[in-house]
Amino acid sequence: MIDTSDTIGINAELAPNNLVRIGRMFRPEFIEGAKDCRYAVLTPNDPLDLLHDLRVAVARRITKTAANPDSQLKGYPIPTDESLKAFSAGEICTDPKLAVLAAHVDMIASEPSKASAQHLSDLQTVGFSVPQIIALSELCAYVCFQIRLVHGLSLLETHHE
Amino acid sequence: MNKIIKIRLKPLTWSPYLPPVELADATEEQLAAMKVTPSASKVSPYVLTLAHDPESYVARTKLFNAIMYAEGGLPREDRELGALAASLANGCRYCANVHARQHARLTNSTDVTSALFAGRTDTLSKRDSGILAFATALTATPPQANHSHIDALTEAGMDKLEIIDLIHAIAIFGWANRLMHPLGHSN
Repeated sequence: MIDTSDTIGINAELAPNNLVRIGRMFRPEFIEGAKDCRYAVLTPNDPLDLLHDLRVAVARRITKTAANPDSQLKGYPIPTDESLKAFSAGEICTDPKLAVLAAHVDMIASEPSKASAQHLSDLQTVGFSVPQIIALSELCAYVCFQIRLVHGLSLLETHHE
Repeated sequence: MNKIIKIRLKPLTWSPYLPPVELADATEEQLAAMKVTPSASKVSPYVLTLAHDPESYVARTKLFNAIMYAEGGLPREDRELGALAASLANGCRYCANVHARQHARLTNSTDVTSALFAGRTDTLSKRDSGILAFATALTATPPQANHSHIDALTEAGMDKLEIIDLIHAIAIFGWANRLMHPLGHSN
């Protein structure tokens, strides 16, 4: 079982710690705001029946699209459920619901311009409710935001003037 | 070299693909969330759609406003240019339209946006060109931005705070684009 408090405690802010330091030095409100967003998409007060393990699996699958995903992947522990483990690893899913979700998540992460009404309809067909689709959309988009943030700040941290 | 035709963009209308929250049926949390936005008194279809997950909506809106309207640091028009470039790269037509018009309003000129839409990035200033190149590269999957992009920004006169602001503006639009475009259509 994933210990959410440890997960959040270590990785609520951007990883690694030197990037948090840069952010806090110049824009502390951005760091705090990003932390609140992470809570909202990963461990909301009302999870809308989307289990934490599924949320983490989605986040992990998308994080693999980063240029250097290793540090960020530490913030999303590998699920113990075999289906979610495969999902989070970017594998093809045999469960129909996870298969549709995987296709959607991959598209949002890599080719968001291709999104259409049909993609949402496909999610509804396999059983996701409208609130769940919105929550998943926010989660996917947050992880993509974090990927760009960490990438950009890492460049700045290692840039020698 | 051919003269660039100046474009003037008309506002677009966005419509959701999924049924939005009905105000009459909204929970207290949803109603409270929808009041957090600093925009118009009437609730837009976009906000009504996102209100299905009020916690995410509130958190993201606060961060978005902090990033795009923070005092000092990167000038607003540069944040808008970063937002526009990310939106073009992500294929979010609605976002690109809004932020192109914002940039034009802030700079009192459509020169930059006209050049972008005409594919004439060769006419951009070093600073604008640097912002565009960095935003496009950072937005790619996987991100392609590298130190040469940072070099270009610093050579164009950007300091660390401005670059941090730009990174955040580009990144938050990676988020916004992935809501606005997939969840509805614009015309």
